[in-house]
Amino acid sequence: MSGFEPRIVAFLCRWCAAAGADLAGTSRLQYPPNAIPIRVNCSGRVEPQWVVEALKAGADGVLIGGCHPGDCHYVVGNYKTRRRIYLLHKLLADMGIEPERVRLAWVSATEGARFAQGMREFLAELKRLGPLHENGGEK
Amino acid sequence: MKVNLAVYWTGGCGGCDVSFLELGPNLLGVLSRVEIVFWPALVDTKREDLERLPPRSIDFALVNGVIRTAENREMAELLREKTKFLGAYGACAHLGGIPGLANQAHGILESVFGPNFRPAPPIEGYPEDAPAQVLFEALPLEDVVSVDFVVPGCPPPAGLVARFFQAALEGQISLGQVFAEEKALCEECPRKREERRITRVARPHEVLLDGEKCFLDQGVVCMGPVTRAGCGAACPKAGMPCTGCLGPTPKAGDPGLAMLSALASLVRAGEEGEAAFPEEDKILDGFVDPIGTLYKYAFAKYARSLAQLTKRREGMRA
Repeated sequence: MSGFEPRIVAFLCRWCAAAGADLAGTSRLQYPPNAIPIRVNCSGRVEPQWVVEALKAGADGVLIGGCHPGDCHYVVGNYKTRRRIYLLHKLLADMGIEPERVRLAWVSATEGARFAQGMREFLAELKRLGPLHENGGEK
Repeated sequence: MKVNLAVYWTGGCGGCDVSFLELGPNLLGVLSRVEIVFWPALVDTKREDLERLPPRSIDFALVNGVIRTAENREMAELLREKTKFLGAYGACAHLGGIPGLANQAHGILESVFGPNFRPAPPIEGYPEDAPAQVLFEALPLEDVVSVDFVVPGCPPPAGLVARFFQAALEGQISLGQVFAEEKALCEECPRKREERRITRVARPHEVLLDGEKCFLDQGVVCMGPVTRAGCGAACPKAGMPCTGCLGPTPKAGDPGLAMLSALASLVRAGEEGEAAFPEEDKILDGFVDPIGTLYKYAFAKYARSLAQLTKRREGMRA
């Protein structure tokens, strides 16, 4: 597994996590480039179907970045996401897929360093788990 | 002019074949207008009779059951060749049905008897005495042949079967048609929705159920919000939650994940916020059988590919 580079799809909330990712970029913080970021208006808009679709389509892990509890621009969107991901973890575990492949992270707009650090940790976790797909997802 | 009809039963329970009787007296009207050219459960017709028919000579064929054995697949292909309009009849042919849950194992026989297991005829027996060649996966009909229309349900309710025959006899079937509504079951359910809040997830036998109130309000998972209407909410009227046999509405997509999402949004442990997280988790932990509840009929069609990912990896590491 030495050459394994996990593929990550990152759904980032526009108000916090995506702004945090932007800050990491403008601050020239180094972090692994494995993620394909997708900006959404709220982490509460991320449907479990999208997460599973990403895994089916070749991703080794999915990151969902939302606002810290109490900070949601739409007041309760991140609470809904948290409950959905909690249930999705249970479902994935029953199917034999490591729940750690789907990670929910709270990142505020000022936490560029936290975003970069979270990405490094997630990447390390996925490298430990190994590829989800045969041939590393190459068809 | 009579319409040529074939009905065939692959990996199923036989309930679909019986479901035609639900038409009651209307069955006589239907039977007077169809010519049964092949229906092993009802009339004496063999595979050879089907093979002798010219291609596309059957007007309508209804296949019920999951595709589980090599013979199932051959018969489905043979019927496809001989038929103008081939339909999936019932949840097994449509979505994989309850037999489709076998896909949770990595090859049902292989997982029980080991990777090199092959069915063989008994010692000194004839080759044709060998057990059926079981396919690695249990498949919905559409994974084997192209399917022109669907009569959904477990088994299909009388009203939808009648709707199919009416359309078939009038030559009014369009490709891809599903003989059920596009709206959700909740819209024809008489139960009252009130709180839309779940403070406890319970199975039907764990709570004393109110006969008038919405199941979700009582914490019992009901697949109504993501399932097609068309049965007149038969199960909720009879005191049991919907389990999703008519399949998802076009908007729901994957019924299991759509319902998971809806369920999670309804759960509340008091005021929403960080302080409520542990209590919310406790409520969600009460949901004990996610696969069996969310994918009772649709596992083969919607969740099989995901579950097989991890099984392939196990094979890769071994």
